[in-house]
Amino acid sequence: MPRSSFAAVRQRAQFTGGYPLFAYAALVLAVVLALGTFAYDRVLAGMQTSRDAELAKAEKAIDLATIEGFIQLRNRLNSGTTLLSSHVALSGFFTLLSSVVPTTVRLSSLHLSLDATGKVRLEGAGVARSFNALAAVSTAFATDGRIKDAIFSNLVVNRDNTVSFSLSATLDPKVVAFTP
Amino acid sequence: MNNNIIPTLALAVALGIGLAYVMPTWSGSISSTRTVIAADDQALAAATTYATQQNELAAARNAIDPADLARLAALLPDSVDNVGLILDLNALAARSGLSLANVDVLTTSPAAAASASAGTNPVGSVDLSLSAVGTYSSLVTFLHGVEKSRRLLDVRDIVVKGSDTGVYTYQMKITLYWLR
Repeated sequence: MPRSSFAAVRQRAQFTGGYPLFAYAALVLAVVLALGTFAYDRVLAGMQTSRDAELAKAEKAIDLATIEGFIQLRNRLNSGTTLLSSHVALSGFFTLLSSVVPTTVRLSSLHLSLDATGKVRLEGAGVARSFNALAAVSTAFATDGRIKDAIFSNLVVNRDNTVSFSLSATLDPKVVAFTP
Repeated sequence: MNNNIIPTLALAVALGIGLAYVMPTWSGSISSTRTVIAADDQALAAATTYATQQNELAAARNAIDPADLARLAALLPDSVDNVGLILDLNALAARSGLSLANVDVLTTSPAAAASASAGTNPVGSVDLSLSAVGTYSSLVTFLHGVEKSRRLLDVRDIVVKGSDTGVYTYQMKITLYWLR
């Protein structure tokens, strides 16, 4: 065999054998993968830049003053509703008192107070023309039912037969509930 | 033996490309960029939702009569403005025939303490103490005025001390509210 033919066969064997074929295929695959990876990396970088720009634009469109305004309005509506539902109208008690207490009984002092739970407490002192007048008030309170747990104490019969007394009671919350 | 030198080199280069570029790029910059893009997509979706909700809220707010919004702002103002309120109460008392004698802010009141401690409560409150002199009907007129005032006020405590002249002395605690 001539020397040149031997070299050609040897060279062909370098590219057609099992191992060389695998090695060159791996190289081609690696190069293709590297190119694909590079391209994909660039595409992703472009997408990120585009998303960042969109996000910056969206952020710019958010007006903090508008949000504050909405929050303030929400708080005002919710708090206003809550406060109005527990709004107190003590004038309702005075109207009730005028209708229940007869003219024969006079209150000389009165203390109305609301505790944290919304319970209304009544403390007072007064003078009744007689025991019968005081009994009439007690009956009127019981009949009406809105002045609850009324206790008349410190009963003292004065020289002119009038009766001094102290009063403690609680009020039905409906009496002092505000109605527009 | 010599036949395998170039294929081996090719395999080594392929491995080198894979290990030195392809794999680190996928696990490094591509992975982090994809994470950032996913986060950006989430943020953009949130921004879209926000824009939609903002438009809906703006439409709902615009549907409310501006006069009603003004009344709501007067009901629960943005500031304490107790000085302005005292002037208004004084004017109301004068119209009712009641003479205001003394007005003070109770900084140690339960309302003020609760207002100071409630960090998340958007509503602040403080008690005003005032004393007045006048007839019973003047008091009832004054109470009606306070209960129906544009600014929300709650008379939470009242002491009435009588006299034989028909003119009474009153001591009141009025809670006022504002939106922080």
